[in-house]
Amino acid sequence: MLTYITRRFLQGIAVLLAVSMICFFIFQFMGDPVVRMAGLYATFEEQAEVRRVFGLDRPIHERYVRFVWNALQGNFGKSYVSRVPALNLILERFPATFELAVCALCIAFTSGLGLGVLVSLKPYALRNRFIMALSLGGISLPTFLTGILLIMIFSVFWNILPSFGRGDAVQLGFWRTGLLTQDGLKHLILPSLTLASYQLAVLLRLTRAGMREVLTQEYIKTAWAKGLPPRIVVLKHALRNVMIPVVTITGLQFGELLAFSIVTETIYQWPGMGNLLLTSIYENDQPVIVTYIMLAAAIIITLNMVVDILYALLNPKIRYD
Amino acid sequence: MTERRITSRLLWNYLHDLSALAGSALLLLFITAALAAPWITPQNPYDLTTLSLEHFLTPPVWMEGGTWPFLLGTDDQGRDILSTIIYGCRTSLIVGFSVVFISGTLGVLIGLLAGFYGRWLDIATMRLADTVFSFSTTLLAFLLLGIFKHGGIPVVILAICIADWVRYARTMRGSVLEVKQEAYILAARAAGAGNLRIMLRHILPNSLTPIFVVVAVDLAVVIMLEATLSFLGVGVPLTEPSLGMMIAIGKNYIYAGMWWMILFPGITLVLLVVGINLFADWLREELNPKIERKG
Amino acid sequence: MKKTLSILLAMAVLLLAGQVWAQSSIVVAQDDSPRMMNPHGDDSDAGLQYFANFFDGLLQRKGPDGVLAPALAVKWERQDALNWKFWLRKGVTFHNGNPFTAEDVKFTFERLSNPEVSEFVNAGKSIDSITIHDDYTLTIKTKEPIPWFINNLHQTFIMDKEDTTARDPGDVMVRPMGTGAYKFVEWVKGSYVKMEANENYWEGAPPIKNVEIRPITESSTRFAALVSGQVGMLTGVPVELYDQIKKNNQLEIVSRPARRSIFLALANTPGTPMADMRVRQAIYMAINEDEIIEKVMRGQASPAAQIPDQPTIGYVADLKRLPYNPDKAKQLLKEAGYEKGFAITLSGPNDRYIQDAKIIEAVAKYLAKIGITVTLDAKPKSIFFPEVNQGKLAFYLIGWFDGTFDMGRTYAKLAHSRDKERGFGELNGAGYSDSAIDGLIESTAVMLDAKAREKALQDLNKMAMVDKIIWIPLHYQMDVYAVRKDSKLAFQPRPDRWMVYKELSLK
Repeated sequence: MLTYITRRFLQGIAVLLAVSMICFFIFQFMGDPVVRMAGLYATFEEQAEVRRVFGLDRPIHERYVRFVWNALQGNFGKSYVSRVPALNLILERFPATFELAVCALCIAFTSGLGLGVLVSLKPYALRNRFIMALSLGGISLPTFLTGILLIMIFSVFWNILPSFGRGDAVQLGFWRTGLLTQDGLKHLILPSLTLASYQLAVLLRLTRAGMREVLTQEYIKTAWAKGLPPRIVVLKHALRNVMIPVVTITGLQFGELLAFSIVTETIYQWPGMGNLLLTSIYENDQPVIVTYIMLAAAIIITLNMVVDILYALLNPKIRYD
Repeated sequence: MTERRITSRLLWNYLHDLSALAGSALLLLFITAALAAPWITPQNPYDLTTLSLEHFLTPPVWMEGGTWPFLLGTDDQGRDILSTIIYGCRTSLIVGFSVVFISGTLGVLIGLLAGFYGRWLDIATMRLADTVFSFSTTLLAFLLLGIFKHGGIPVVILAICIADWVRYARTMRGSVLEVKQEAYILAARAAGAGNLRIMLRHILPNSLTPIFVVVAVDLAVVIMLEATLSFLGVGVPLTEPSLGMMIAIGKNYIYAGMWWMILFPGITLVLLVVGINLFADWLREELNPKIERKG
Repeated sequence: MKKTLSILLAMAVLLLAGQVWAQSSIVVAQDDSPRMMNPHGDDSDAGLQYFANFFDGLLQRKGPDGVLAPALAVKWERQDALNWKFWLRKGVTFHNGNPFTAEDVKFTFERLSNPEVSEFVNAGKSIDSITIHDDYTLTIKTKEPIPWFINNLHQTFIMDKEDTTARDPGDVMVRPMGTGAYKFVEWVKGSYVKMEANENYWEGAPPIKNVEIRPITESSTRFAALVSGQVGMLTGVPVELYDQIKKNNQLEIVSRPARRSIFLALANTPGTPMADMRVRQAIYMAINEDEIIEKVMRGQASPAAQIPDQPTIGYVADLKRLPYNPDKAKQLLKEAGYEKGFAITLSGPNDRYIQDAKIIEAVAKYLAKIGITVTLDAKPKSIFFPEVNQGKLAFYLIGWFDGTFDMGRTYAKLAHSRDKERGFGELNGAGYSDSAIDGLIESTAVMLDAKAREKALQDLNKMAMVDKIIWIPLHYQMDVYAVRKDSKLAFQPRPDRWMVYKELSLK
């Protein structure tokens, strides 16, 4: 187990290195940041000086080595646009994204699992067919369209829910939370529903498929035959087996969640990391872009590792060696 | 069961499944419209010589102020919405099919080689695939395009392909690993067939079944992805038609009461994806041996 | 029951408190978000308008006409071509209580030339030396004669030397501390900036005590915030929602002509079609600017016949646009030997000016009608401007206004042949080159006599717009704001589009 973790850890580091190297390579083809940094009226000579001060005149491999060296010490460089450390800039936005993502995940997971089980018990009942039709809609509606639709209904047409921002937030140490005020919670409803909708539909369908498969297995039939109450059969015997792949997929799809949070945050002007990334891409703020990518990669890799390890612990049949 | 009988059973089931028929009818409708776009649209919305600002922001014909031939109204550059939608579908389908074809071929080949040869090739490609997969197609394509920016449709296709081949590779590899153990493969090997022959003649055709489902699902995902990227302004450039871009433009007008600019492209996009998903659902049920079908 | 009652009571108290607070408070949705709070780190008007509330310059620009007025300097004098003497205001303190002296001014101007913290490197490097005579008088000597030196001092904000050097540089970037009318309270990035009145302000305490600025870049969201009453006013009314706001009787539109003009720049590389004057005229005449204003700008612009606006030195009152005449344009192309037209790429930013990408789309349509095949190349400003700087483009849309109210600097930057050694033409993205124009530009830079200089700049402007058609002017933008009537806000827009809250009051 320990060797497995070490190996995964080393692989993770390799991935991070590769990712950052690719970023640096591609940055060469993006616009020149110096023009903006030197100011509108700078002469060519002054631009050259800015280039020198920020080390942008050095060859790309030298800059990369320096970046890695600094990154190892926790310094990911300063944002070209706001001239403060890129990592701080992103971490400042982290709580907003985290709360949104966790909320969406909870909605998607509980509703997806619950509805999936419900639907699988009587697949041909009218109500369940309706739920399935909705889930088809769920996987066919791109997140951005869901967002616009919800805004149009609840903010423009009915005007009962706010369509942008985070509302009142409370500062708890370094963490700024919107979960403690009524206003903050109200602002969370539409974005988290938007972010959850696609995942919800996917999880619902996954649960249903899993349940249908499990319900035909011998041991379930035996359980029914033994006369166990349906609650026990469904929840204890069937669902437990379906849970493993569902949890795994949820963990592995965290990248997807992060990606859709960019879309959601843009539509709702949610002050999170995704919103920052999109702005940074428009403004060509390379240090922030590369830091975001590295951070996202690190989170995803760690999560995958955790999922793998949990999986191994839950399911003793699997051995990593 | 012989192969022919499987095929005919598949066909029979297909013709008797309402949602599969509805799905493919929708898809067919969109494909036909996209192919026939130059002949059936009243206007080529991206031919600058025929466009004019004169008819900008015209509402649909049945509303006050609407005029022919702008059945569904026009946008703020005087582009006919219906024509733009049809041309936009064209872009969606071109991107969708190209990506599915390119990344499908690539993924199947990689999966086949990895599954068949195993060892370091398997480890290397699957580690890569895991990483790409966990980054998610959407995030990766978004980052790639965000960095490359304004490229045009080929760049969009390329970026999505870079992120998308893993779906095929992973599925294919799993399938190959199963097929490899089958008796007829061992028999062929015993009969002295070479690696290449076994791989192409026996393993490839027998492990493709699960790929069909992936193709169908992926087509829907890629079309949504292209729309999302264009919506965010990192996908198809301004000068090319795209449903995602139309929705992005229309979004600025929702408070102005000009709903036709967002509603029609929105509905079109959803119908297109629903059509594909209906077909994909049917295919999955049909090809999944683990589920007992009723009736 | 008891619980519900107490909650209701608490809410009522909050509501009341809110109303009391609201009496001297405003919430404003601005279309630009601040990049930082370091007053020298952002030279765009989007950033400067934030700093202008926390800091003061030696001078300020006041009111609807942007008249230059004393601020931290009470008097100034140009002593010769290079030396400027300033007498500073006495008894002014920074928000931390430190007195304002000549040392702070010297420190500020020296800080400008440090590229790590400043985007005004050019301004900083143009200063040769600063001599302090006593606590309240000093002389600034420039390296070259700069006719517009004084015109720019309203955007050099004075920082406290002691405080700035003592604090962590990262903290200086996010927490502004100056002598300004407002004290900084809080900045939550992506959400809001809050500030409170400086009761000891040297000009008298500002009437509005609390200001909360919500930067909302998405135009329809900004509109939603205003309509739902979450903000009292907004800047940058999106053209597509103009009618909607006008119809709403709770809202009021405030607008004024912007100083910024939008125009097309064209190369004149020998051997290309655009080196021919007839082709330049043809392009000019093919564009139906009235229709662009009506349909693309929704009437929120006025036609331009030149780049500077009326108050700028160099403006020529009697310049007229070439009339819209596509037939004449076609004929001119024919005469020039391009009867079948030619192909060209038209570039432009898509996130910088009002409707920028839509304008170039419209221009492309007009040019297509006279046979010129246009490839559109709209891109984010972060890519577009570096390309202008590198002189890579042949034909592009750009907008400009000069904060100095003096056309000399703009011409040196945008119209002079690109010259790396002497520092000319950095933003001449099409590489336009004409020796007569270059000569005129260079001669105006050293003229000390204001009258003669104005005449020379006008001659230059006329030559550029009429004889050479360096650029094809399109229109001046309109700055449009919307105010909720129930906010009782008295507001007059400034020519530079800054939101300076000490100028606002409640009716």
